[in-house]
Amino acid sequence: MKKTTRVLTAALIMFFAFAATATAGQVYKLGFSGAITGPTSDAGNPLSKGIEDWFKYVNDNKLLGDDKIECTIRDDQYKTDVTKRNFEEYLDDGIVFYLNYSTGSTLGLKMDFEEEQMPTVPSSYHEGNLVDSTYIFIPVATYSENMVALAEYVVKNHKGGKPKVALFIHPSAFGRGPVEDTKKAVAAGLNMDIVEVVEHGKDLDNSAMLKRLMSKGVQYVICHTVQSPVATMIKDAMRLNVTAKSFGEPGKLTFLGAHYTGGADLIALAGDAAENYYWTCSYNLTTEDNEKSQKQLKLAKTYGRDDKAANSHNYAAGILQAQIPTQAIIMAKAAGLEVNPANLYKMLNQMNGAKVFNSFAAVGPVSYSANDHVGVDVVNIYKVDKGVFKAISSIESEYMKKLRAK
Amino acid sequence: MSQNQWLATGNFFTSYKEEQHTFFTHLDRTIFTLFLVLLFAWPLVFEVGNKYMFVVNNVLIAIVAVMGLNLVTGFAGLISIGHAAFVGIGAYTVASFCRTLGTAHVLVTHFWPLVIILAGLVGAGFGALVGLPAFRLKHLYLAIATLSFQMIFQWVINFMTFFNQGQTISIGRVFWFTGKVGRRDHYFFWYYVILVVVVLMGFGIRNLLKTKYGRALVAVRDNDRAADAMGMHPGLTKVYAFALAGFFAGVAGALHAYVYRGVGFESFTLHESIGYLAMAIVGGLGTLNGSFWGPVAIKFLDLQVEQLSESAAQYLPAGMNLATALKPFTFGLVIVLFLMFEPRGIANWWRIVKSYTKLWPFRY
Repeated sequence: MKKTTRVLTAALIMFFAFAATATAGQVYKLGFSGAITGPTSDAGNPLSKGIEDWFKYVNDNKLLGDDKIECTIRDDQYKTDVTKRNFEEYLDDGIVFYLNYSTGSTLGLKMDFEEEQMPTVPSSYHEGNLVDSTYIFIPVATYSENMVALAEYVVKNHKGGKPKVALFIHPSAFGRGPVEDTKKAVAAGLNMDIVEVVEHGKDLDNSAMLKRLMSKGVQYVICHTVQSPVATMIKDAMRLNVTAKSFGEPGKLTFLGAHYTGGADLIALAGDAAENYYWTCSYNLTTEDNEKSQKQLKLAKTYGRDDKAANSHNYAAGILQAQIPTQAIIMAKAAGLEVNPANLYKMLNQMNGAKVFNSFAAVGPVSYSANDHVGVDVVNIYKVDKGVFKAISSIESEYMKKLRAK
Repeated sequence: MSQNQWLATGNFFTSYKEEQHTFFTHLDRTIFTLFLVLLFAWPLVFEVGNKYMFVVNNVLIAIVAVMGLNLVTGFAGLISIGHAAFVGIGAYTVASFCRTLGTAHVLVTHFWPLVIILAGLVGAGFGALVGLPAFRLKHLYLAIATLSFQMIFQWVINFMTFFNQGQTISIGRVFWFTGKVGRRDHYFFWYYVILVVVVLMGFGIRNLLKTKYGRALVAVRDNDRAADAMGMHPGLTKVYAFALAGFFAGVAGALHAYVYRGVGFESFTLHESIGYLAMAIVGGLGTLNGSFWGPVAIKFLDLQVEQLSESAAQYLPAGMNLATALKPFTFGLVIVLFLMFEPRGIANWWRIVKSYTKLWPFRY
C-alpha cells in the first residue's frame, strides 16, 4: 500500500510538472543594440530605458498572456562593429525581432537584415534606411519628413513674398540627407528660396555666420543637427538681438529645427534663447498635459526612472520602438500564427486600416504596409513658450509623399 | 652546440647562413607546424557561433594591418599616425569597384583574391606618396605629415558623394569553388582566407628581414647617416617602407570590406589609427611576433572591459556613465604601463619564456 501511494504520488508530480511546462507559456527573444554610453548616449540612454520598461510592463501585466518577451539590451557605444557583433549574438540566440539604434549601423547591417529576413525597427529615421530594404520599419516620420514639413510650415505661414531660408545642418550624411530632399521639394514646387546651406563645425561663436545670413536677407533658419550647436547658435542670435519675437518677424531670424534639435535638453542648454524656437517631432511630450503623457509618466514611475528620463522624448521613442514588435506579436497570436520572424514581418505589413496601432508615446497612429515602412506619418510642431515646448500644430508632409511617389 | 638538439642550451651559429634559417631548431619548426595545424583545425572540431568567428576575424585583420605598421614604425623607425587611413584606402578600393561596377560584378564576387591584391597595391601607391616627405622630414614632422594624410582621407571620404559621404557602401557576396559563400558560412570562410593571408604575409616579412632590403629598413632606423655611408639610400628606403606598410594596410582594408560586407567611414578614423599604434606598442615594436600579440591583447582587453562595464552598470547609478570612461581609461592605462614597464612589449615576454626554456635548468 505504501509503495502504491509512493508510485501514485510520483506519477502525480510528473503529470503536474509536464502540465506546468505545457502551460508555462513561451518566451520570445528580442535584441536591442544601441548607444547607451558613448557618443549620442544623451539620446540612446533614455531610449534604452524606454525599451526596457515597456517590455517589463508587458511581462508584468501579462499583455501576452503566459508568454513573455525576453529582450537582451546591449550597449554598442555607437560603434558599428560592436553592433554587428551584438546582432550576430542575437541571431545565435534565436531572436524573432531586432531593434537597432544608429543610422550608421542600420545602413551597415541593412544587407544582414535582408538576408536573415529579420524584421527590424531602428531608432534612426534616416530616409536612406528604406532604400533597397524590405525588413526595416521606421517607427516615425523620417528626418527628411521632419525637415520638409518644417519648410512647408514656413511657406504656409510666411507673409510677403518668397521666404528666404537657410539650412543649418550636421556635417555628415545624417545632416545632408534631408537637405537633398528639401531641395527636391523646392524643385517640385515648394515656394521658397534656400539661400545657404551651412554645415556647422564645433564653433563656439556663430556671430559671423548669423550676420552673413542677415545680410543675405534670410528670415528662417531650419536646423537638422543635434541640440548643442543649435543652442550655441540661438544664444548668439539672442546676444546679437536678431531673434524674431514672433514667427517670421521681418528683419529678424526665426529658428526652427527637426527631431534631434529640440526637447528638454535644448531648453536646458539654451535657456531664455530657446524662447520662440519651433521644433518638429512625432512624439507626444510630457509638457502636454494629456492622457498619453500621463501614461508615459506612470510607466517611468513604476520602474523608478528619474524625472529627466521620464520627461525625455527619447524615452517615448524607446517605448514606441518596443511597442511595435509587441503589437506584431499580439497580432500574430491573435491570428493563430507561430511567433517567428516571418510571421511578425507579415503582421507588420498588415498593420494598417483597422489594424493601425495607437501608441501613447506618439502623436499619430503607427501604420505599415508592404509599400510603406514609415510608422507615424504625422509630426507635431512645438514652440517654446515660457520655457516649455507647447504643441501649436500637426502636419503631414505633402511634398515627401509626392517625392516618394515619383 | 650540442649535436643532440634536446640537450642544446642555446643557439650557436657558426656561419651567417645558419643565422638566416627561418626556424633555428627542429623543435621550433615542429611547434610552429603544430600551432598552424591547430589554427586551421579548431573551427572544424568546435562549433563556434558567428559572433566569435567575427571577433576572431577582426583580430586577424588587425594582425595584417599591424604587421604593416610594424614594418614602417617598428623596423624602419618612421612613425605613422595615419595607418587607419591606409587601411581605409584598401577598403574603399573594394568599395569603389562596387560603386562603379556593382556589388554583384564578377570581379568583386569571383576574382576577389585579385581585388584584395589590387587593394594592397593601391595602398602601397598611397603609402609611397605619403612617404615622399620622409625624404626631408623626420620624427615629429613626419608624424604630422602622416596625420595630415589621415585628415585629408577623412575629409575626402566625408564629402565625396562617390564614397557615399562616409555612409556604408555595400560589398557583394563572394563565390568559392563550392558556390556562393552564404551568410551561415561567411565568417567561417573568411577565417581561412585571412588566416592564409596572415601566414603568407608573416613568412613574407620573416624572409624580407633576411634580405638586404629588410636589413636596410633596420639600418636606416638605427642610424640613417651610417646606412647612407654604407651605400643605402635612406630616403628611398623610407619611401619603400611606407609603400610596404601601405600594401599590408590595403590588404587588411580589403579583407575588412569583405568580412563586414560594407565599408563605412567610422572604421578608419584617427581613433583607429591610434588603436593600431597601441597594438604595435603593446605587442612589441620591431618584432614580427609582436604584430600578433598586440592585436590579440588589445582586442581581448576591449571585450573584457566591455563586459566589466556592462556588469558594473547594473550596480552603479546610470548617471555615472562608467562605460564611457572605462574603455578609454583602460586603453590609455595599458599603453602607459607598457611604455613605462615593458617598452619592448609582449614580444619580450615571449622572448624571456623561450630563453628560459632553452636555458633551463641552468641559469647561465
